[in-house]
Amino acid sequence: MAWSFALPFLLLFTVFMAGPIMVALVTSFTDLRVTDIRNPLSVDFVGLENYLAVLGDARFQKAAANTAVFVLVGVPLTMALGLAAAVGLNQGIVRFRTFFRVGFYLPVVTSIVAIAVVWRLLLGTEAGLINGILAGFGIDGPGWLTDERYALWSIIAMAAWRNLGFLMVIFLAGLQTIPGDLYEAAEVDGANLWQRFKGITLPLMRPTLLFGAVITGIGYVQFFEEVFVMTEGGPLNATLSLALYAYDQFSFGNYGYTAAIAFILFLAIAMLTVVQFRLFRTEA
Amino acid sequence: MRNRRRTGAVLLSVALALALAACGRADEGSGAASGPASQAAEIDTSSASGEISVWAMGTEGDNLGVLADAFMADHPDVTVEVTAVPWDAAHDRIVNAIAGGEGPDVTMIGTTWMGEFAQLEGIDPTPSNFDPSQFFEGAWDTTVVDGTSYGVPWYVETRLLYYRTDLAEEGGVTEPPATWDDLKAMAKGVQDAGAEYGINLQPGGTGSWQTFMPFFWQAGGEIMDADATFTLDGEPCVEALTFYDSFFEEGLTAPAAGDVPLEGQFANGDVGSFISGPWMIGIVTDAGAAPETWTVAHQPTEEAGTSFVGGSNLGVLADSDNKQAAWAFVEYLSDPEVQITWYETVKDLPSVQSAWDNEALAGDELLSAFGDQLSDAKAPPAIATWEEVAAEIDAVIEQVTVGDMTPEDGCPAMQEAADGIGTGA
Amino acid sequence: MTTVAPTRDSATAHAGPRRGGSAWWLYLLLIIGVILLVGPFIWMVLGSIKTTGELRQVPPTWLPKNPTLSNYTDLLDRLSFARFFLNSAIVAAAVTAGNVIFCSMLGYALAKLSFPGKRILFAIVLGTLMVPAIVTFMPLFVLVANLGLVNTHAGLILPFLVGAFGVFLMRQFIGGIPDELLDAARVDGAGEHYIFWRIVMPLCGPAIATLTILTFLGSWNSFLWPLVVANTEDMYTLPVAIALFATGQQETNVALLMAGSVVVILPVLIVFIFLQRYFTQGIAMTGIK
Repeated sequence: MAWSFALPFLLLFTVFMAGPIMVALVTSFTDLRVTDIRNPLSVDFVGLENYLAVLGDARFQKAAANTAVFVLVGVPLTMALGLAAAVGLNQGIVRFRTFFRVGFYLPVVTSIVAIAVVWRLLLGTEAGLINGILAGFGIDGPGWLTDERYALWSIIAMAAWRNLGFLMVIFLAGLQTIPGDLYEAAEVDGANLWQRFKGITLPLMRPTLLFGAVITGIGYVQFFEEVFVMTEGGPLNATLSLALYAYDQFSFGNYGYTAAIAFILFLAIAMLTVVQFRLFRTEA
Repeated sequence: MRNRRRTGAVLLSVALALALAACGRADEGSGAASGPASQAAEIDTSSASGEISVWAMGTEGDNLGVLADAFMADHPDVTVEVTAVPWDAAHDRIVNAIAGGEGPDVTMIGTTWMGEFAQLEGIDPTPSNFDPSQFFEGAWDTTVVDGTSYGVPWYVETRLLYYRTDLAEEGGVTEPPATWDDLKAMAKGVQDAGAEYGINLQPGGTGSWQTFMPFFWQAGGEIMDADATFTLDGEPCVEALTFYDSFFEEGLTAPAAGDVPLEGQFANGDVGSFISGPWMIGIVTDAGAAPETWTVAHQPTEEAGTSFVGGSNLGVLADSDNKQAAWAFVEYLSDPEVQITWYETVKDLPSVQSAWDNEALAGDELLSAFGDQLSDAKAPPAIATWEEVAAEIDAVIEQVTVGDMTPEDGCPAMQEAADGIGTGA
Repeated sequence: MTTVAPTRDSATAHAGPRRGGSAWWLYLLLIIGVILLVGPFIWMVLGSIKTTGELRQVPPTWLPKNPTLSNYTDLLDRLSFARFFLNSAIVAAAVTAGNVIFCSMLGYALAKLSFPGKRILFAIVLGTLMVPAIVTFMPLFVLVANLGLVNTHAGLILPFLVGAFGVFLMRQFIGGIPDELLDAARVDGAGEHYIFWRIVMPLCGPAIATLTILTFLGSWNSFLWPLVVANTEDMYTLPVAIALFATGQQETNVALLMAGSVVVILPVLIVFIFLQRYFTQGIAMTGIK
């Protein structure tokens, strides 16, 4: 019986998703390059050579460290902002409700080019808005995007800003599954806003929060667009992400090597996801 | 579940078996790239007929229909179907088309992609219908892979020095800089005259090699020798890198990528000069720079006065089933008259030297400066791994200008990275 | 995926909007939030009515000096707009419908039915989200080429008709539906398919709205795949067509790109505005208990 529900999905899934992934997995053990694509079967099997080369590359290690920071700081930050937006918008707001919801969702749909331009106006060293304000207080603002010490943090802030609307949508839907009378009862019992949030919202939202954490984690381990348009991984690789590193290798035509990076990324994400499942299962 | 797993396992084992059955790559020697490039036998294009499809990127693709129509009027038996392809990911699209056997007959190709496409046997050698001496030498060289030419240059661009003549004069510089010392003096002059920075040089980042390599060539360097071995490390490289870095050391150029567009800074006098291609003429004008306040100049000369040549080539795909008509169309696009029509349509600079005698180009002071420079302009070697080598050069430039690496350490680092990557042959 | 409420369950079964008025400080916070979030969007809209020259000026301007609609008319003149819009709409509608239906079905099986290998199946499906798409890009294209689907709508749609994202989302939401409700229907003799279509799906309004909004957005904006699969211009989707006219080898026509971006996101916003009303307290779930 269950299979009749799974069948249409599995058919498409096997052909268009699992199949290509298998091919990519095989590729990761070969020295396939772009110049081989007309005769892909003439490549050599090189065992774990690609994997070892990736792990030993200093640029990979730098990218892995950057990505770890990005995920460990970015995921909780974005989750907190998205949840705050969803809870705020789910209060009994009647007036301008659609307006606010659309407003919070706009960064998700705004063209990345426009976002990049405006964030540069914000973070620019010389003409930037933030440094302009700092100058008003007599502070000489740093190069938010051009100084090694600040660039990654600027990108994290930008990513959280851009993605909180995505999580807001998911969390708004999750909030609808909480029966309203629970809150009323708690209110009668004298629970304040924070107690109601902690006692009702958080525990009942657990399946949705898990979903949000896993999806954001998966997305953030592969963070790419923000650095691609803002810094191209610079300065001095301070914002180089694993996905950008993989993209570079792909565009150089090193397909076997790129596949090895991808499956190392896969393992990292899988481990992160297992941790998240544990975390949200045992909590509360 | 059991079923799915088995399918997966079967798929995997088939892939493995197929791959293992093949006995790996054959050893291919890499021939030295010396002497005139070889070409394929002449193709008789006079009796071309049938249908061909053509891919071209961006503006070129958008407007190529104009030339296709004219061509079809000349060749009533041929139908040309033009598809405009966005520049973003155009490279990936062509690679995929070759891999999947779904490509066009003729395609526009970025000059630095030639080595890759030729080596994967995706494009055909140029027939001897085309005379190399017709084209700018540096541009023709971009088609030559391992001693054989694949395709022809379609349009070209090269890099010149743009500078604010008004500020330079104020700073006591009345002649275009002829040498490196002159260039430095000009940068100082415009800075003294009030510019925040005398020049704009890229502090590393994608494509900075295109600004750096001309200095390397000017110092007498060559990227590769006749045996296809990288020769990045050496005196010319150290000289060029030291000179490039000196603008950063002396505060003559911004220490980090700017957050405001360069053209705007040039127009309002914040930046006194920069090195770029012909497209910037329109852009700085658009940004409000008055024509009488600036001009372009030939690259400075040390051992040489070489610049970088880029642009796009035209290639015929190896899988094309109408090569006669395909090359006929390429031949048509290389005609000097047609190249002028093309310049007038989309402002692409002709790759064919004789087209530059036309008044439309010869009569324009700014453009003819580009024409002059084109006869002393080089491209990087057409090897399949160039983009990767270039990224390493970009990285070293950043390490030297922004980081704390010395030019003396930078050049061996470039050489080591390039040797590690190899030529892909 | 059972949910346990730590506070005592309310005996009164009262659904509907919870409280009437809201505190002023909530509005204040929301207004600050919106101001911080809409800047780039407004810049994009204003940029789309500026000239390219104005966009290059230093210092940059917020309000256009000489507002012009020429970017829009340029775009519409040069684009077979209706054709590209139609391609995008067909692809996005099909992909969204496929994801909503097929992913919900599997999500239901994973959440509420028991069968051998369920956990492993879920892990495998979820695992595909974790492999960077870049490495499957070329194998997928070669596959689609061998199936003869290059330059067809099917080639644009089929690879994305299902996805792990939708399965995971629907599994999480369907898991929250009380088992008693489904068991009651089973006792009454309802088949699983009846239960799924008539009971589960109607209860999943907010989840389906979410999946629709996000899948539609993803499909509507997708660029790389349509670029490679659509071989001729009559198969181009809107983002591909706009990139074609706005980006050059060395320069980007930012004004044209902004106008294009505004045109592209309008349908996405309309879908959002239309569906966000399903995020309303208590239509479904509270009615159950």
